[in-house]
Amino acid sequence: MSFLQALVNGALAGAVLALPALGFNTVYAVLRFPNFAIASIATAGAYAGWIANVLWGWPAPPALLVAFVAAGAVGATTDALALRPLRLRGPLTAAIGSVALDLLLQNALRFGFGNDPRGYDLPVFRDWRLAGISIGPQEVEDAGLAFITMTALFLLLRFTRIGKTMRAVADNASLAESKGIDPARVAWIANGVGFGLAGIGGTLVALDTSLDPLTGFRVLLSIFAAAVVGGLGSIPGAIAGAFMIGIGEELSTLALAPTYRTAIGFLAILVVLSFRPRGLLGERAY
Amino acid sequence: MGPTVSRRAVFGGSLALPFLGRSGFAAAPIPLGAINPLTGAGGAYGPSMAKVAQALTARINSTGGVLGRSIALDIEDDQTNPTVAVEAAHKLIDVNKVVAIVGTWASSVTTAVAPLCWQSHTMLFCTSGADSITKLPHHGYIIRTQPNTYLQSGRAAQFLLQHGARSVFGLSAQTPFAVDSWNRLAAVLKTGGASGAGDIIYDPKQISFRSEIGKALAAKPDTLFLNSYAPDLEILLRETYQAGFSGNRFTFAYAATDAVLQALPASVTNGLWSFAPSPDVASPAYRAVQAILGINDPDPYSCQIYDHVSLVVLAIARAGAASGVAIHDNVRKISQGTGEKVSDPVAGLKLLAAGKEINYEGASGPCDFTPSGDIVSCKFLFQVAENKHNKTLFIS
Repeated sequence: MSFLQALVNGALAGAVLALPALGFNTVYAVLRFPNFAIASIATAGAYAGWIANVLWGWPAPPALLVAFVAAGAVGATTDALALRPLRLRGPLTAAIGSVALDLLLQNALRFGFGNDPRGYDLPVFRDWRLAGISIGPQEVEDAGLAFITMTALFLLLRFTRIGKTMRAVADNASLAESKGIDPARVAWIANGVGFGLAGIGGTLVALDTSLDPLTGFRVLLSIFAAAVVGGLGSIPGAIAGAFMIGIGEELSTLALAPTYRTAIGFLAILVVLSFRPRGLLGERAY
Repeated sequence: MGPTVSRRAVFGGSLALPFLGRSGFAAAPIPLGAINPLTGAGGAYGPSMAKVAQALTARINSTGGVLGRSIALDIEDDQTNPTVAVEAAHKLIDVNKVVAIVGTWASSVTTAVAPLCWQSHTMLFCTSGADSITKLPHHGYIIRTQPNTYLQSGRAAQFLLQHGARSVFGLSAQTPFAVDSWNRLAAVLKTGGASGAGDIIYDPKQISFRSEIGKALAAKPDTLFLNSYAPDLEILLRETYQAGFSGNRFTFAYAATDAVLQALPASVTNGLWSFAPSPDVASPAYRAVQAILGINDPDPYSCQIYDHVSLVVLAIARAGAASGVAIHDNVRKISQGTGEKVSDPVAGLKLLAAGKEINYEGASGPCDFTPSGDIVSCKFLFQVAENKHNKTLFIS
């Protein structure tokens, strides 16, 4: 396999990974703790997308909207019910609580949908061959949908009142509150948007692979690595980190056995925390 | 897949059994453990395995138990995860004081649990395939009803040779049996004039295998040997199709589940060969498993756990004592030799009570074991995917 092929594979994987990483950092920027329940919330979004696509017969783009709404609702509601009280005891307590919440949600999904892998009702196309490089049409479509979603998030944060309040709380929560911004309301919005993005990301991952209760869990390390590498809480950092992890994992297969590919995520976390603890783009949210 | 059993039912049933036993038996129940993959990658099989073990235990208890004692079955979910399985084994051995553990499925789980068993003189009955398992220093405390990798891969290679394979590339999930499996397959292919074009061991927890597939197809194989579990098989089938591969694909039946075939377009899965050790479909024990699950084609692992429970109770009855050591010393005395052939454990208990010797032949096969704990022989089922369903080619 050529360097260019690995680069293309990595870029396409990074584009899909970017959405849950964005969601992770959006939540972190406002609430200041890593919410690991994002893995199962992304899976919940993927199941919602599956219902829309397979049971209701909807095509992929509107199914992604259903995934966004469902994952956002699950994420915001579970945060309010389970994690908000824990946040008062510090970010570590909330982070540990989020691991427990993730397991709870994972088992709830297993209870509801079973263990069997499921697939979306979408055709599978042969790869395009361009100058010796194989590119999957589905992966290109997924990357395009991810790009559209990322653009929408930037427009939301840059130009809307909701986005500005989120950025204000992310920059300085105390100052924002003194200016009349309700932090609880912003937390609801940040969770809704962040986990909604994770739901779209989970659906895109499932579109490429398979859908089962562990779909989100399989990418949790890569999501976390992308967030840490780019800078915890940084929106552009999440995107940069996702592409770095996606491309890094693929390029590693040129030199290492594929079994060690997932070690790249661990390695990236170790290197960044050792030499640049705030990540490549720092902690600034936007 | 077969009918499912809820965790609540398993939990409730497990709790209830000791009390049912106490109501009808003079002595304390004999504790028996089961560690099954109720969830995780093996989750398609664990629930039916648990249901079979529960039903057979209940039947034995309802017909008088063993040595005047009931069997108290405690089923634990290993989540197809060795770490979880070790916790479950500690609980069963240290708290429940079980005499045997039945039904470990994944090789990684059996490998992790085995040392706890032989150190505590608890018999372990598994359905795992890795050769390394019976090579452990288990001192006779492991019995395996699943053909080992050597037996399975050798038969798989013969099938591929018979079907014209000349260049086979292996894509194997990282498991304890991946290397053994490929080495045996490649060796038999070589003796038949074909070759192993290469192999890659991958981490099954990835979301894409495009790089691995790219390397595999660069070797221009005519056949891919996909040594996978169901979730990663679905991805591999999709991505090999996308990559333009049009040769043959061969995998294990536990990966090529109906759910995987339903999840992908028929154009992607048609022609996929899969194989599995076949139960003895002519055995009365096999019909008993059919009746328990209410289906015509129970999976091999449900048949094997039926035999595990049968072997445990018959060995205890033969020994006249309920302990891991007693089972260890007597399991071959009731499963092979010149005794009267029996496929129903309740009938076997009656014969033993009458002082007769028996030779148990179960739902999974003859249940004859080598000194290291492996089965001597069994049949294999070969099937092909057609229009989202597996169609039987032959059993041999």
